[in-house]
Amino acid sequence: MLIQVLMAALATVSFSVLFNVPAREYVFCGITGAIGWLFYLITCSMLGSIAFANFIAAIIITVVSRLFAVNRRVPVTIFLIAGIFPLVPGAGIYYTTSHIFNNEVNLAAAKGIETISIAICIAFGIMVVFLIPQKLFMIGKRKGKA
Amino acid sequence: MNDSEKIFRLVMLTGEILLKNGAEIFRVQETMLIIAQYYKVQEIDIFTISNGIFVTMSVDGKTITSKSKHIPIAPVHLGRIAAVNNLSREIVAGKYEVDEAIAELHKISVMPYSPNSLRIIFAGLGSGSFCYLLGGSAFDSLAALIAGMFLYIFILCLAKTKTPKVLMNVFGSAVVTVISILLYSLGIGDELDHIMIGAIICLVPGVAITTSIRDFFNEDYLAGTIHLVDAILVAASIAVGVGVIFKVWRLLGGI
Repeated sequence: MLIQVLMAALATVSFSVLFNVPAREYVFCGITGAIGWLFYLITCSMLGSIAFANFIAAIIITVVSRLFAVNRRVPVTIFLIAGIFPLVPGAGIYYTTSHIFNNEVNLAAAKGIETISIAICIAFGIMVVFLIPQKLFMIGKRKGKA
Repeated sequence: MNDSEKIFRLVMLTGEILLKNGAEIFRVQETMLIIAQYYKVQEIDIFTISNGIFVTMSVDGKTITSKSKHIPIAPVHLGRIAAVNNLSREIVAGKYEVDEAIAELHKISVMPYSPNSLRIIFAGLGSGSFCYLLGGSAFDSLAALIAGMFLYIFILCLAKTKTPKVLMNVFGSAVVTVISILLYSLGIGDELDHIMIGAIICLVPGVAITTSIRDFFNEDYLAGTIHLVDAILVAASIAVGVGVIFKVWRLLGGI
């Protein structure tokens, strides 16, 4: 599992480079991605539901991203897009279209529904955390500095 | 150009840069509104979709300016978004004149992408680590790393030629499939499927589809639809590129 988490960090840093994140934020993007993947793995093995694991991980990633964003005074998008990358169902949507291409309609439908439900879970997780007022994260900032 | 026109240009340019480089719809609108409010714009209406901005505003209550601008979906550049965010904060803090702010925005809009060599290396590392996350073995990851780097070199070359995005994805995924099959035949990697998914991860529109759902939740239905269609089109062109090469390979007697 440790290797998995390290790999998630590496993947997140890689994509923050490709998304042209400012260099001084690379490390924080990596941390966000690693924490998110850790929680994804834990929830997945405890509950066995991929969709729910995505939801929990999205919540954690958004909380961490917002804390970093307040502390480092950059838009939350930076950590969010990079950190969420290991979760987003890129592979899923590729498999869906690939099944359609190979005339495997049933497999395509199953993959397609899974992809959309994962995306909905992630978006829902992000939205829930964005409902929390900014002030609460400011408190986190003061604590962080103390 | 009088002051109200300058303010209008400033607000418009801010929105343009944010949207072009991948900011969320609500962030684009919010930032534009904050700057407009700081300059005491009396009336402003902004309507943003994934690939366009429509603004009408009146600064002194008399002159009404409006503009609609088409902004094609472009590669994400989070550094520029961070820079605009910083600038808008400083504008509101009163540190910039309108002219200076516009000049600064022009500088931001041409902020360089990460150096190509760095992007190629990290595209490889990203592919390799993703392959591992999605269940590949260490060997698979190595193959994905190599294929991912070649894919990115190929994309960078194509980007100079103004190839349409759809074709770029078809060609890119075809190239990556050929390389993966070659590596696999040479004995690098255990499972072709795992290598493939890692190698094409730079192309797949995972973020786009999640953004699309987020737009729907924010009631930006039009923006959501555009992102969704974009994501499906990209995924479909990747599937075509990969599928064609696999069909040819099978015809030639591969597995």
